[in-house]
Amino acid sequence: MTRALFQVYYFVRSAIAGLRGSPLTTGVCIATIAVATIPLGGLWVVTGNMRALLDQFGSELQLTAFLDPKVRSDQGRSLAAKASAIDGVERVEFVSQEEALERFRTRLGGTALLEALETNPLPASLSIALAEEARAPEAVARVSEALHALPGVEDVAGGETWIEGYGRALRLVRSAGLGLGLVLATATLLIVANTIRLAVYARRDELEILSLVGASRTYLRVPFLLEGVVQGAIGGLLGVGLLFAIFHVAVPQLRDALELFLGWSDPSFLSPRNVAILVAGGAAFGLTGAGVAALRTRVS
Amino acid sequence: MSAPPAARPAAEAAAPAPRPGGDPLIRLFHVSKSYAAGQFALRDVSLEVKKGELVFLTGPSGAGKTTLMKLLFAAERPSEGQILVLGRNVARVGERGIPQLRRRVGVVFQDFKLIQSRTVEENVAVTLEVIGTPPREARAKVFAMLKRVGLHHRRHHRPAALSGGEQQRVALARALVNEPAILLADEPTGNLDAALTLEIMDLVAAAASRGTTVLVASHDPSLVRRYARRVLKLDGGRLVEDLPGGAAA
Repeated sequence: MTRALFQVYYFVRSAIAGLRGSPLTTGVCIATIAVATIPLGGLWVVTGNMRALLDQFGSELQLTAFLDPKVRSDQGRSLAAKASAIDGVERVEFVSQEEALERFRTRLGGTALLEALETNPLPASLSIALAEEARAPEAVARVSEALHALPGVEDVAGGETWIEGYGRALRLVRSAGLGLGLVLATATLLIVANTIRLAVYARRDELEILSLVGASRTYLRVPFLLEGVVQGAIGGLLGVGLLFAIFHVAVPQLRDALELFLGWSDPSFLSPRNVAILVAGGAAFGLTGAGVAALRTRVS
Repeated sequence: MSAPPAARPAAEAAAPAPRPGGDPLIRLFHVSKSYAAGQFALRDVSLEVKKGELVFLTGPSGAGKTTLMKLLFAAERPSEGQILVLGRNVARVGERGIPQLRRRVGVVFQDFKLIQSRTVEENVAVTLEVIGTPPREARAKVFAMLKRVGLHHRRHHRPAALSGGEQQRVALARALVNEPAILLADEPTGNLDAALTLEIMDLVAAAASRGTTVLVASHDPSLVRRYARRVLKLDGGRLVEDLPGGAAA
């Protein structure tokens, strides 16, 4: 057990010596992972903000179920109670014909046009606020269907069409991100693996000597894997740092466009948790690249 | 400042003759090795080497000396026959068993095989590090070993700053620091002049006198005569002579 601990000490020492002894290889690995982290992290920033925007619109989203003119107020209230029981519905407000007219009048500022009406043309309705989990396009459609099925409901209106379109855009960005991510990940792995392979090759005499004095395969390989992890983590951190700088330069330039087209001007950067995930991802890339390099060069 | 080293460590030069005995540590049974069909580097070699023996392996270039050495530390596998080293069948030892074997077999080469980016001390220490020896203990053993070969005062130098003889002493220290049961030396003095050759060979002989089984591949007849030990002569891959100590003088 004690000897195993000391071997870990020698692994770490050897990895540090390896990193310091081959600055060019180390630099190339770090730069490759940093460069790959920027577009991947950037896509994450975009999709994260699209999701946040979707949530924001969703929180303002209300469905309106228009009722049959024959439905009386007491029946309307009973329908409101039934609508409240639908899964995904947070709050239901019954709006009688009179209240609807009053609201319309208030909104129009009491015009003479309404005074000319002999009967109230506005239907009674249910104003429905959705629970957070029901703000996704599929859930909105499900609630809408359930409202339609209630007796006395003539029509259901809401912003689901826009939400659906936005949801599709979000899925598209995510799919594109996944595809781009896979391409970038593969390219990064190949570059990192080949660069570390060069480092292994450069130290083949040393590895041969260690092997001659009885070093196990683990002893020969682990320092390279540790080097890969360190290079990957530093690369990931550097990439996130550069992305943060790009974000802070780009957002003020895009603020007007975001506000104009989306009514939204406050995109956010990655959360600390997501930054940690990206850095850990970089470390995992470094580890995998080093593992592939060690296996392909048969360090033994 | 440490005292300068003796030209030849006196205690080693005067090493007493060994008294080998007991079970053989190295046994070869009808061993052949071919790299291409019909081309044998070794052919039907059988031999035994006992504990504490100092044996010279001689023969012209291409006789199979290096191949035999490589078979003994599992750098190569025999094409035919069986090899027992320290009771292990080297012909069948798995990938995991090779490091275990090499930790008990020290090896020295003509070209020293030192890690140029590490100091003398670090080069010797690798033998102890691969088995997880605590750093403090490793440092003490390395210092004692370097003192034995007269290089403790140069422990912080890199190999490039040393002479050929000094580099071979470092290689010898690396091979012996873990007190191996067997020392294999493949033309250890091939790159050295006569004075340095004796210096190295005295250290090798001293290892044998301490109970290490030593096999030295050399084509230098003067060495064989000087040390008057058992000689195994290879020619064309065959063992053509096995002369007991003194017979080759």
